[in-house]
Amino acid sequence: MRRGALVSFGIAWRYLLLVRRMPSVFLPSLIMPLFILVTTAGAFAGIARLPQFEGVDYLAFTVPLATIMGAGFAGINSGMTLARDIEGGFADRLVVSPAPRVVLIAGPLIAACVRSLFTTTVVMIAALIGGIDLPSALGLAVIYLMAMGFSAATAGWSMGVALRARTIQAAPLMQVVVFLAVFTSVAYAPRDLLEGWLRTIADVNPVTWLLETSREAVLETVTWGGFWPGALSALGLVLALGLWALTGLRSIGNH
Amino acid sequence: MILALRQTVALARRSVVNTIRLPQAWFPALFFPLVLMSIFTGSFGDAPGNLPGFPPVRGFLDFAIAGAVLQGMLIGGTTAGAAFALDIEGGFFDRLVASPASRVAILFGRLLGAVVLAMGQALLYIGIAVIFGARIENGPLGLLVVLVIAGVLAMMTGGIGIFLALRTGSAEAVQGTFPLFFILLFFSSAFFPRETMTGWFRTLADLNPISYIVEGMREQIVGGAAAGATAFALALAAALALAAVAACSWAYVRRLATA
Amino acid sequence: MPPAVEAHGLVRDFKGGVRAVDGVDLAIPEGEVYGFLGPNGAGKSTTVRMLTTLLRPTGGTARVAGHDVVRDAGAVRRAIGVALQDAAIDPLMSGRELLRLQTILHGLGWATGRARASELLDRLELTGAADRRVGTYSGGMRRRLDLALALLHEPKILFLDEPTAGLDPPSRRTLWEEVRRLNREAGTTVFLTTQYLEEADQLAARVGIIDGGKIVAEGTPAALKAEVGDPTLTITVPVGDEEASRAALAGLGAAAPGGEGQVCLRLPSGAAALPAIVRALDAAGISPSGLDLAQPSLDDVFAAKTGRRLEAEDGAERSAGEPLAATP
Repeated sequence: MRRGALVSFGIAWRYLLLVRRMPSVFLPSLIMPLFILVTTAGAFAGIARLPQFEGVDYLAFTVPLATIMGAGFAGINSGMTLARDIEGGFADRLVVSPAPRVVLIAGPLIAACVRSLFTTTVVMIAALIGGIDLPSALGLAVIYLMAMGFSAATAGWSMGVALRARTIQAAPLMQVVVFLAVFTSVAYAPRDLLEGWLRTIADVNPVTWLLETSREAVLETVTWGGFWPGALSALGLVLALGLWALTGLRSIGNH
Repeated sequence: MILALRQTVALARRSVVNTIRLPQAWFPALFFPLVLMSIFTGSFGDAPGNLPGFPPVRGFLDFAIAGAVLQGMLIGGTTAGAAFALDIEGGFFDRLVASPASRVAILFGRLLGAVVLAMGQALLYIGIAVIFGARIENGPLGLLVVLVIAGVLAMMTGGIGIFLALRTGSAEAVQGTFPLFFILLFFSSAFFPRETMTGWFRTLADLNPISYIVEGMREQIVGGAAAGATAFALALAAALALAAVAACSWAYVRRLATA
Repeated sequence: MPPAVEAHGLVRDFKGGVRAVDGVDLAIPEGEVYGFLGPNGAGKSTTVRMLTTLLRPTGGTARVAGHDVVRDAGAVRRAIGVALQDAAIDPLMSGRELLRLQTILHGLGWATGRARASELLDRLELTGAADRRVGTYSGGMRRRLDLALALLHEPKILFLDEPTAGLDPPSRRTLWEEVRRLNREAGTTVFLTTQYLEEADQLAARVGIIDGGKIVAEGTPAALKAEVGDPTLTITVPVGDEEASRAALAGLGAAAPGGEGQVCLRLPSGAAALPAIVRALDAAGISPSGLDLAQPSLDDVFAAKTGRRLEAEDGAERSAGEPLAATP
């Protein structure tokens, strides 16, 4: 168990090393959430005057969208790194090592969580400069936790894709699904405002719960009733998509 | 003269057909604006009529069409530029230049191809929106005006893309400028009315020519009376297109001279 | 004691019906250096990938270090060291960082890992480059680092897939030296694939020749060559004199195919037959510009088994691309 943890961190360390070595890959995941924060909050600021927003500031309302998107980009990074490793043959070295298989997936998930700390911090700083109120310590913890959960989940998703497609060409597929998952939730407006098919999808979309939990932490005070749906959703996503990656690893010898 | 025209049409045809044959290149460009249009419509459906400052429209979908069309044009320009750069990288451009084909046809064939694709794409977006309940208030004439503006806009973005292709000769470099178009798009009134914006964002949107072009198209769709806005949009787009075409013609002549 | 590497009827089919490995049997005792010789696409790498748990066999069984490669893949992975064909190395990391990662992957103690890493870097002449990114390494340095990574946990069995492909002769010799030393001092079993005859000849105690996914010959290099038979004499004569030369030499040795301006003979008695041949040519008024007596090589063995040459350059000298008569 201890060894497994050690190896996980070893692999995570290597994935994080690449953040420094290949900034061109990581930089977009820092810039994109900022772009989303600024343009969304700027373009749609007026919408918050609708009564359903209960008087909140639209910039603060957008913060969870930006942190979750940043976390998604940070997670996809793990899948892209793995796809590159598979193309270059480096993944063979990982697979042929005696490290437990679960560790080969857990390592990059941890790396994704750590990267999401960076993206979330950048968004929070920008939002604070923009004038949102500083959330409580507990609120901040929840915001970061939701981001880490989503980052690990998207890392699992994108690694599962990388292991099956075995090429970096699959990167758009990794991204499109994450975009769609976020956009078809409560990304731009609270649930009461959503109409038609979007409402139907958002109601069953696990990202909705993540965003709502994170939003409560930004806009109000954290409550147990507001926290557990997001936490449960994050846990479920990480487990399900981690499994998706793990089964992808199992299929690696069949190619 | 007639030969040059025929060559232009043949090359335009080729660029349209080649684009259609590479679905992984155009599918995201086609799909993404539609996704945003439908998600914004689902999210902001309550805004028209309830939000102070929101222009009078039948529904948010009618309002959103122009943004989707604009977005398609911006992406399409980059695609055309990248395809032209691929021709340069792959040597097809040299083969064309070495052939007796009209020099003008080589450049304008590609531009015309971009315009045709753009108008088709705009028509598709409007068609889909109409199926989901949108309406072009100004009727067939309004539709025609929207298509013309879209075509002129595609001439501009295609011109910029081809200019970059001619200067850099690298498809990757052309695609690298894509975020710039995105910034122009998002800091404008493409997705939400300028009237509801505040502060520095409003200032940027006011300064952004894209805002006026999209609002001109929107006037025709939502049925605003101000013909001035449309005329201004058309003039602005035409001026920008002219500048872009002039720039890429200059780059083209230079490339031919040094080749 | 069970063999270090053991395979029975190993088969690998790929999608689209390509059978890359077609019933390979292996039995490699502990402490042996085994050379797997064959041209590109013969199935060498596919076999190695199956033996190292990277690829699942579609038929047959294989055991490495006594463990089944499918059912007990974890135990196999603990026992083996692997240096793969395309030097599976991340160009963005430094040599030392890769060794550190390998230490963690194999669960070695921190101190042990450090000590072995610096020892290996030293021995493979990489100390100076250890902190540079691998992307800046030369081909030879990458291979040596790959070997260092494979050796870090002191495996009992080492798999080397084309370890010297594309290397210059000095780098090749450094690698050979290290493989020999490992086998001699640590008793490491080495399974090595190569398309270089010299490499198999120099390193391997036993050679398996693979072609079209099947082992077509196996044995010590000496025994394999002896099986092919007699040394070959290649006489370079003026173009046009080939027929006359062959007529003059009839009865002195078995004719073998030769190129333009070349006459080839198989000589059971070797060099002892030379004086008679020179006299016969002289009598016929033909002045040869060159005589070359060659012992059979592994290439001759390969040619005898498959009807093709393995190394085009070598083959060009002797047979000039003509189809070879299959000699027993």
